[in-house]
Amino acid sequence: MTLQVAPPEVGTGQDVRTGAERQSGWLVVAEQECRDLWTSGRGLILLFLFSVLLSAITYLTSTNQALNFLEQRESVNLVLQFAVAVGALATLVVSADGISGERERGTLETLLVTPTPRRSIIAGKLIAALSLWLGTFIVGIPYVWVLARGVGILGSALALGFCVGTLVAVGLGAIGLLISAACNSNKTSIAASIFLLLILFAPTQLPSGLPQGWFFDVLLRANPVASGLAYISSILVEGHSWTQDLALLITPLLTAIIAGGALVFAGPRLVRLTRGVTAG
Amino acid sequence: MTSITVEAKRLTKHYGGRSAVEGVSFDASQGEIVGLLGPNGAGKTTTIRLLTTVLEPTSGEYSIAGYPYTSATEIRRRVGVLPESSGYPSHQTGAEYLRFYARLYGLSRSQAHSVSAELLAAVGLAERSQSPISTYSRGMRQRLGIARALVNNPVVVFLDEPTLGLDPAGQAQVLDIIRGIAKARDATVVLSTHLLPEVEEVCSKVVILNHGKVVTSGSVGEVIKTALIEQSAQLRVPLDLVERARNVLAGFPDLTVDQTAEQPDVLRLAVDRPGTGVASGEVMNEVLAAITAAGIPVLRFELEGARLSDAFLKMTSEAVA
Repeated sequence: MTLQVAPPEVGTGQDVRTGAERQSGWLVVAEQECRDLWTSGRGLILLFLFSVLLSAITYLTSTNQALNFLEQRESVNLVLQFAVAVGALATLVVSADGISGERERGTLETLLVTPTPRRSIIAGKLIAALSLWLGTFIVGIPYVWVLARGVGILGSALALGFCVGTLVAVGLGAIGLLISAACNSNKTSIAASIFLLLILFAPTQLPSGLPQGWFFDVLLRANPVASGLAYISSILVEGHSWTQDLALLITPLLTAIIAGGALVFAGPRLVRLTRGVTAG
Repeated sequence: MTSITVEAKRLTKHYGGRSAVEGVSFDASQGEIVGLLGPNGAGKTTTIRLLTTVLEPTSGEYSIAGYPYTSATEIRRRVGVLPESSGYPSHQTGAEYLRFYARLYGLSRSQAHSVSAELLAAVGLAERSQSPISTYSRGMRQRLGIARALVNNPVVVFLDEPTLGLDPAGQAQVLDIIRGIAKARDATVVLSTHLLPEVEEVCSKVVILNHGKVVTSGSVGEVIKTALIEQSAQLRVPLDLVERARNVLAGFPDLTVDQTAEQPDVLRLAVDRPGTGVASGEVMNEVLAAITAAGIPVLRFELEGARLSDAFLKMTSEAVA
């Protein structure tokens, strides 16, 4: 076999292209990451399992409605909260694999030697992780539609779920990437992220009959997931206006801003070949 | 006119109190293949990571294609890298993989498409371009990695152990590609490897590292000369002509001739006279001429101490001692 490694028709390194011709690195990374996520089957399997679970929940809540055990607004709230929870979980787990997974698979170094800025690599990975949240939300729409018929909350439920879910998913996705950057082992990164998520979901699982004093209130408001879900409940179940409990969104918003900001500003120092080694 | 494309000056990298690379200096020109040699842990991979901007030097400086190390993005645009034990996304196809990297270097979709097709053909993977990488053999993956290192038509290509774990045919293919990169693309190739005979064959220059420091650098001939290795040789002749050969060799007063019971047809020759490898080599040439002139068929004549591996072993063991 004769191998002719002649230069390509289009020049690059030896004939550097101008900025105007260059595509955004984050877009290229996001596109590839999304393709990997969805065509490899990971994303689709997760959505399939989610839809099976959602079907079961929808069926049970519908039955409870028929028996007058569950108010219709509560059914919509339950399904929406479940969609937000699964979307956040998926986003967190996928982003927790973002950097540490590349390190472990030996694919990070080849990314680091491309001219794509570290920030773009991170942004692309975050966007791809968020596509899972978007997927779970889209899958959840028909279920919410079925349950919300007749009570006139379909539009507000979907808008609410999308806004709060996106806020929570952005915050958790950014945290997942930060954890991933800080961990050399992918297992450690994913385990730490799931542990964090369980802690965040714990307050939402407390029995409603328990006395809920100021401590519970602080705990709820300090927790981005719990306070986000509480905001959904306050509007859908308690019938509050969108602005009445807006303070509940402070923590999810701050989490998204702080974690996202940390990624943007510290990203170039975080995306390194191995944790603790200074990269250029 | 060839230009200097890689210039490292006193490059140093410390991890805490440990020194991985200490004052490494060398340069390489356009179209040159430079062999970066050294035992495990000598600092070859760290040197490559420093020169490819993956790591920041603790001290020292370097330039790639004229760009100083502070211009990391400009350097990344001009280098191609095959890291040691590089991983590959198993579910992607070879073509998809190359297209992704081509686009990261700023090529449009159509350009990335054509570049990936050209490179896959160049490394002999055109027929497998649509197969998932998980189905590729190790040799195919290495060739794909080299193709990826070329998507930006780099000025300098860094290949860290590209032949590691390959069978002889795979090694030959990779070396063939490396020659092609330097010749057809006029790119500088910095090759880190343990395959010394191959380095001798393809590299125009070698840099030997040990314990993070450059032990020697220069052309293969210069490095061997620097090592000042005493040459010896093994001469194999037909068994019935061994005595006749010994009689011929007796005419060389500076030559010691040994013979073992295990290989009675092999004579081990060494020059007693203290001196340089060049002087020893001259004696060996005279020996060979005398044997052939005596009508004794030479079944094998192997000069020892004149190879890069001899110089490498001598220099790295001296540094350890």
